[in-house]
Amino acid sequence: MDTLQAGLTGVLAGGLYALMAAGLSITWGVLRIINLIHFGLILLGAYLTFQLASSWGIDPILTLVITVPALFAAAAAVQWTFDRLRISELSSLLISFGLLIVIVQAVGNLWSADFRQLTAAANPYATRSVSAFGLVFPLPTLLAFAAAVVLIGGAHVALRRTFTGRALRAFAQDRAIAAAFGIDHRRIGVLVAGAAGATAAAAGMLFAMSNALTPATAFEWFGTVFAVVILGGIGHLLGTLVAGLLVGAIGAVVTVLLSPSAEPFVLFSTIVLVLLLRPQGLFARGGTR
Amino acid sequence: MTAARRGLVGFPVAFAALATLSLYRETMGFPLFYLTLLGTMLFWTAQATSWNILSGYSGYFSFGQAAFVGTGAYATAVLYGRHQVNFYVTVLAAAALCAVLALVVGGLAFRLRSLRGEIFALLTLAVPFILSALAHLNSAIDGGQGIIVALPPFPAGLGGAQDYLYLVSLVVAVAAVWAAYAIQHSRFGWALAAIRDAEDVAEGLGVATFRYKMLAIVVSAVIGGVSGSIFALQIGFVAVTGVFNLTVPLFVIVMSVLGGRTHWLGPVVGAVFVTLLQDRLTSSGLADWRLIVLGGVLAVLVVLAPEGLYGRLRAGPWRALAAFAVVTLGLRVADAFGEVLDWILIGAFAAVVVAVLPGRTVRRDRTAERQPADEKPQEEKPPEQEQADAPVGDVLVECTDVARYFGGVRALDGVTLRIGAGELVGLVGPNGSGKTTLVSLVSGTMRPTRGTIRIAGRDIAGLPPHRVAHAGVARTYQVPRPFESMTVRDNVAVAIMFGREPCSLPRARVAADRHIGFVGLAPLAAARPTALNLHQRQLLEMARALATNPKVLFLDEALAGLTPAEIDNAVEVVRRIQRGGTAIVIVEHLLRVVNQLATRIVVLDKGTCLADGEPRTVLRDPAVVRAYLGKRAHA
Repeated sequence: MDTLQAGLTGVLAGGLYALMAAGLSITWGVLRIINLIHFGLILLGAYLTFQLASSWGIDPILTLVITVPALFAAAAAVQWTFDRLRISELSSLLISFGLLIVIVQAVGNLWSADFRQLTAAANPYATRSVSAFGLVFPLPTLLAFAAAVVLIGGAHVALRRTFTGRALRAFAQDRAIAAAFGIDHRRIGVLVAGAAGATAAAAGMLFAMSNALTPATAFEWFGTVFAVVILGGIGHLLGTLVAGLLVGAIGAVVTVLLSPSAEPFVLFSTIVLVLLLRPQGLFARGGTR
Repeated sequence: MTAARRGLVGFPVAFAALATLSLYRETMGFPLFYLTLLGTMLFWTAQATSWNILSGYSGYFSFGQAAFVGTGAYATAVLYGRHQVNFYVTVLAAAALCAVLALVVGGLAFRLRSLRGEIFALLTLAVPFILSALAHLNSAIDGGQGIIVALPPFPAGLGGAQDYLYLVSLVVAVAAVWAAYAIQHSRFGWALAAIRDAEDVAEGLGVATFRYKMLAIVVSAVIGGVSGSIFALQIGFVAVTGVFNLTVPLFVIVMSVLGGRTHWLGPVVGAVFVTLLQDRLTSSGLADWRLIVLGGVLAVLVVLAPEGLYGRLRAGPWRALAAFAVVTLGLRVADAFGEVLDWILIGAFAAVVVAVLPGRTVRRDRTAERQPADEKPQEEKPPEQEQADAPVGDVLVECTDVARYFGGVRALDGVTLRIGAGELVGLVGPNGSGKTTLVSLVSGTMRPTRGTIRIAGRDIAGLPPHRVAHAGVARTYQVPRPFESMTVRDNVAVAIMFGREPCSLPRARVAADRHIGFVGLAPLAAARPTALNLHQRQLLEMARALATNPKVLFLDEALAGLTPAEIDNAVEVVRRIQRGGTAIVIVEHLLRVVNQLATRIVVLDKGTCLADGEPRTVLRDPAVVRAYLGKRAHA
């Protein structure tokens, strides 16, 4: 029963990983930018939620009204600059690594390196939970799961049904030809990056709701989130969602059966195996999405 | 003086000069504080150099430097700190452990078919996390608390503990930089440079890319591990968070990118500059800003000066030196604030600004302009052709029922083809008929889904492309892909150095000039590929392919996009190559050219062989006319 409970909680918690990974995956797959700043934006989202909720007493979910536009604008501005400077994939990795360090250190200077956590008064969701069939699920985890399913599923549908979504898929497959058919790569790029920034705000808020914050957390996400991106297939949204849930489950079960510190070891071994056996990701059928 | 001899003089002199600072420290009145700072610079010099040998030279960026530092430090801390093994033995153990780690990481990563630079970077990012998780998991390794590492006993003549540490770091740093220097001036270094510029091209020319990448990661790991082992002494207390952290890769990447990744001195320049900057920021009470400044510097540099400072400084050394001297001395005279190190740092900043500022500092390829214009090809006979080996009629390439599918797409579906020595075969067919796929299969870059390919009687199934190249297959690319960082001469010399009979660079350069003359590029031998037009780049492709001394040469649309006059010239070169005895397969759309040149024409259509024979008969074949012009034209 413990393992089942852990596995299911893991699956739900995996929604948060999927949400973090989705933005990274889509900018990598569509814009050919490996944007490590994304981790910095999630961190900023989490700290902003913490700050707004603690000092102004805003409900954590309502802080999204401020953080979503802010991070949308920040991510869009970064993409606009990258596009202007014609940054290659590898350079983007280097530049964003530098900028991520800047963000993490700046967050450390502003909020100190100590752990910060929303108080029970500011965060009414933390202590609530839902129980069913003898299993108990904390409310924040359920919220994260729901947000991941709604946002990623919604984005997936939007990609297939809307005009912009189709333009984007065309752009991902062949930039030159998409451009020849009148697709404005700059507008699309800024839009996609901005949307990824918005998901970073949501992911940050959900993380802050159930965890204590410290600047170095940004680096701790690295392993898990990249695992999800690669397992799901780069640029493959539904794959990312499934991979996120899978990684959550693996992590939770390993934690229960072995030990918490075995988790990264198992995860990275999985990534290496997947790269060896199915380099296009577990769920992608070759090609893009 | 040769590079090797310059190194033999230069490195001992540098070592002696730096060692003097410590040995005669008190006599010279050299403050201990500066010695400590120099020691830190030496540590980072060794680490940045270690990183650069792998990532700078070969172009595979690693985020995993902390894995080597940590493994080295842990080896010494556990064996020496906890189990009292002799310290110097633990240094060797650190080196061995890191080498094993490198073999595992490299063996996994470099075997990945889908490996690209970004995936390698992410994989290496994971390695320190895995190792630190292992160390956490298994508290028997460090007792769970971290390990105190005391200094080993050392000869009293060396001075105090700081002097001893400094001297040990000096030995490691000088050895590391010397290794980087030696590698850069050897075949190994040229192989890595070729990998960085165009890996699959290098492999196709005969460079054993996998072996050289593995060698690079092992050398990098050994240096990183030894230096990490010394680092354990410097910090005195080894715990997981202290050694496996992300500031290590940040530092070494910033240092190498700042200094310049393609030259052995780059990381040294970067390490000295960055360490000084960090020290000054700390002592000015801005310790919180250190990483912000460093991360910012990395981001700005990748955009502004991706090739690094060293190249810029070398292009205009006097202006930079003057800027440094004027600013530093000016501050010294004014004496308004700070101390010597601040003045030096600000002077160095001034030098950097002068060096990076765009404009006159960019060095042009003067050597290329100085050469007399000599349009005449110098030799009629191609050099070193093995005519005797390959009498006309011997079967060189033998494809039997070869097929290649991409998912459901059948790019080639059962092609049987023989090419004999001395033939000049035209391989034609509409777009998408499988011509380029066939070239990739024969040169070993792709595996056939079905069927066998023999080169000079030998089945190439399972051979890596560089072995296929050694077996006698060479190709050119439709879009020329020269090694952009090398001159025309060195582009060709690389192909000779790693050919069937390996040789050293000076000998290869001499031979290269003959091939360059043969295709008529002699006046441009010292130019960079960027200075060449498309026609000249295609000729370079041919010279480079010829330099591997092939039995059969595939020219993949070597005439596409050329003017009529250029086509005539290229056709002349192709004829000359054939007269030398090399069999040629020319892949073309232009039927006029093929008709004019080829002794035999093979027509592919939709992955199958449509016709094969004399040019005149083949071009009148109704099936061929249909494939090219459509049914109605034939009717």
